[in-house]
Amino acid sequence: MLAELDQLEADALERLAGANAPEALDAWKAAYLGPNGRLKAAMAGLKDVPKDQKPAVGQRLNAIKATLEAAMNARRAAMPTRAALAPVDMTEPGLIDTRAVGRTHVLSRVRDELVAVFARMGFEVAEGPELEDDDHNFVKLNIPPGHPARDPGDNFYVDDPAAVAAPRMLRSQTSTVQVRVMEEAVRRGGGQLTSPIRIISPGRVYRPDTVDATHSFMFHQIEGLAVDCGLSMADLTTTLFQFCRAYFGGDAKIRFTPTFYPFTEPSAQFEIFVSLSPGSEPRWIELGGCGMVDPNVFAACGIDPEAWTGFAFGFGVERLAMSKYKIPDIRMLYENDLRFLRQL
Amino acid sequence: MLVAISNLRRYLQDAADLATVEHALVAAGFPVESRTSLDEGDVRLDVEITSNRGDCLSHLGLAREAAAQLGMALRRPSTGELPGNGGPIGSSLILENTLVRGCPRFTARVIRGVKIGPSPAWLRKALEAVGQRSINNVVDVTNFVAGEFGNPCHVFDLARLAGARLVVRLARAGEKLTTLDGKSRTLDAADMVVADAERAQSLAGIIGGQDSEVTDHTTDVVLEMATWDPVAVRQAARRHQVRTDASHRFERLVDPRTIDEASARATALILEVAGGRLCDGMLDAGAALQPLTCVRLRPSRCRALLGIDLTTEEMVRALSRLEITVEPIGRAGEELRCTVPAFRPDLTREADLIEEVARVVGYGRVPVRATMPVAVGSPQASEGARRELGSVLAGLGFFEGVTFSFTSPAHAAAFCPEGLRIITIDDARRGDEPALRPSVLTGLLACRRRNLHAMVHSDGGVRLFEIASVFGEQGSATVEHQNVGLLLDVPVAGKAATRDEVQHGVRLMRGAIEALTGRLSARALAVEQAPPHAPAFDPGAYARLTLGGRALGYLGVIAPETQRAFELAHPVVGAELNLAVLVAEYPPVAVVSALPAYPGIERDLSLIVGDETPWSKIEAVIRRHAAGPFVGVSFVGTYRGKQIGEGRKSVTVRLGYREADRTLRHEEVDAPVASLVASLRAELGAELRA
Repeated sequence: MLAELDQLEADALERLAGANAPEALDAWKAAYLGPNGRLKAAMAGLKDVPKDQKPAVGQRLNAIKATLEAAMNARRAAMPTRAALAPVDMTEPGLIDTRAVGRTHVLSRVRDELVAVFARMGFEVAEGPELEDDDHNFVKLNIPPGHPARDPGDNFYVDDPAAVAAPRMLRSQTSTVQVRVMEEAVRRGGGQLTSPIRIISPGRVYRPDTVDATHSFMFHQIEGLAVDCGLSMADLTTTLFQFCRAYFGGDAKIRFTPTFYPFTEPSAQFEIFVSLSPGSEPRWIELGGCGMVDPNVFAACGIDPEAWTGFAFGFGVERLAMSKYKIPDIRMLYENDLRFLRQL
Repeated sequence: MLVAISNLRRYLQDAADLATVEHALVAAGFPVESRTSLDEGDVRLDVEITSNRGDCLSHLGLAREAAAQLGMALRRPSTGELPGNGGPIGSSLILENTLVRGCPRFTARVIRGVKIGPSPAWLRKALEAVGQRSINNVVDVTNFVAGEFGNPCHVFDLARLAGARLVVRLARAGEKLTTLDGKSRTLDAADMVVADAERAQSLAGIIGGQDSEVTDHTTDVVLEMATWDPVAVRQAARRHQVRTDASHRFERLVDPRTIDEASARATALILEVAGGRLCDGMLDAGAALQPLTCVRLRPSRCRALLGIDLTTEEMVRALSRLEITVEPIGRAGEELRCTVPAFRPDLTREADLIEEVARVVGYGRVPVRATMPVAVGSPQASEGARRELGSVLAGLGFFEGVTFSFTSPAHAAAFCPEGLRIITIDDARRGDEPALRPSVLTGLLACRRRNLHAMVHSDGGVRLFEIASVFGEQGSATVEHQNVGLLLDVPVAGKAATRDEVQHGVRLMRGAIEALTGRLSARALAVEQAPPHAPAFDPGAYARLTLGGRALGYLGVIAPETQRAFELAHPVVGAELNLAVLVAEYPPVAVVSALPAYPGIERDLSLIVGDETPWSKIEAVIRRHAAGPFVGVSFVGTYRGKQIGEGRKSVTVRLGYREADRTLRHEEVDAPVASLVASLRAELGAELRA
């Protein structure tokens, strides 16, 4: 019986491969999965199977059904479809007919505002891939193998058993762009850094957090990096203070407390004292992290940490947008309900 | 980490109030996440400890930090000489450590004749203040010392250790162990255990076993204090889905050199609260202890990196408060030789010490300047292009969406071009959407569905766009680039979309794309009808787009199957443009031509042609054959209907004629128009509509 089932499955898959049009696929479905199909017939035959073999045959039948259904759906998805409505003339010129104006997304606008302030301080936007390798997301950021931050529970790794040695992943932080920019600058300099760097990298990052009102598995960060001869922590505090005053208004204050990041030393968290939305009392809000570039990160990028120093900072775009516009739930930002988008 | 203020004060020389201590902890880098009021004015704090500071998973560690901030002296618990009158330890217990890499140090002491009973009030209170339950005097001491020094320790009932032996070894696959939480566990061959002569007695570094647990009848106890490899402990804890205070500490590295003091303290406390006689000596098995780390610190470098004008004396004072021994070296003391205490394995480099200096003097000392030097650069073209793109599309009624980069394998397959492989994420939490999308449209279609289900109406139909990365694999190469995805409703008046309505929708999308390319590029947009690149599009309504010869993207009507898969009631038109190609030459520099000085003449023609004749063909014939002072042709509209006849359509075109240096007269264009009509008839079989 099991051998016959193997044969049935093989035949079905072979004939499915030959079904090249939706009509042929429908016929195939009727022949195998329909109420009068061969699989149904085989299932009806289960009652004649000796009792001791019944579980095995039953399991096999279910497995075949699942396989065939999955194969059929894949085939259908990959099949060229019929032209729905008599052909459309794609060459007729475009037409503008707008009844209502649209809006850019609040996250884009906040991103653009932030970028604009940093642009005035000489920071250029640099972007990098969202699909990253272990080297840029971890190794060169001073997060060695075995570090808890690499836990599969905290990262989205690509499903690719062949890539155990060099796993790919969705970046968990925009700091990856720092590394790429420094590497590129060293490459351009023929093996050494020859000019200062000031970049800002906004973008999407991914972490498998449980989704709730303040957490999403995809969100946006903005990351800054400055490298020069003689940059000090005072340049870092000054840059963030200037940003804070320019973005939040003249009364904004900023303060720094120690923390730990693998890629900066010293590391700090920064908080701002602002009134984010009109009329509300100013308060201290934890904004992000920053610090002096760790010598190991410089070394990994081929930059001499004795000759150059630098600072980096980063913070989340969603949190800022949510505080500023009093958005109660982060999920509203990705649902894109027009009734929400129109308000902002 | 839960700490009680009463417990912290035990180690602070001077009385400090809660607010002062809390403020000191925050300033040192240990934010307080929550506080709970306890009896007698005590307060329990939940303090956040960063992963590099395993030493501060202890009251003493946090008290040291607070004392350093407040300039107070730290009061260390003193143990004095340990009395040894229980006989030589070697005749009571044999210790064997077969896993020096996984267990860098294992120590054991034996205390005979203890009296197990309730703990004294101070000990019970100290544990309860941090939310722990008192068990018995001996176990309470181990929990207290673990909280005091950060060194987890464990006590075994010596009588229940087979062969009076402790062996540190790997578990045998399938070996059983019932742990203190009452769970029966089947061990993995990678698990480290502490065993007696026969079987595992504890899951190393994580949790003890029930068999050798101290009970009311215990008289002789073995005090274990060991250190374990952080990665091995983390992996075993994850395998067995158990997380304990001990595993949490070991995962953050407990240094082998810190054992002596903590073990002596635990021993002294057991003797104090449970009596008994201590066997002479301590069994100690593991790797050789490393000498204390010495790090060179240049005060000039410290000043330069922090930007704070600190004196060398201030640096020395700051480091000393953290029990770092500092001695000036070099001719004029221009370098400091810093010896790092054993409990700070995180300090190995100059930068680490500079951070310590900054923490102690306070980050508030780093100056914040009112101005900063800037080299003024040119505006970044790519940023300008992004903003312009957003404003053009918003003006055309498009709302920008931010949708997820994930989709289902079926949706991904529908949008996947031939030759591209879909990348999926290995994570059960992605559920049925593990695929990285090959097209932005999967997100926009899901967003369109959501708005449909929410019955959101938009005059003229919903229009959406998004700028996002799309993903795939080609051969062994990863493909990722940013696309602008566009989606709009075919405006439908009746129950089902008519052909003319679909045509109208396509023209609206094309109009948006033309507006975009017109504003963002000086290059010409070409639209070419083509077979779709993926099954998600209707094969009769798809076109490839090029910009100045470079592939820009496509536009097309979403195929009915895909439209149904996204539960949409009416047809939608999608388009996707490669962002890099679109903005490559932004900003375009327009060159102005002079305005015409004389009026021209326009003639409209309604041409009846076969339904399959595309506009591009009509336009090409007109441009090829137009004669006289011809300046251009534009499309006015297409009409189908009974009067025109089945299989035919009427296309109205507007021809423009003008002379540069004089006013054109009507009769002058009659002949060129007539000749053009003849050419259209000859080449396309076009008839003039009456």
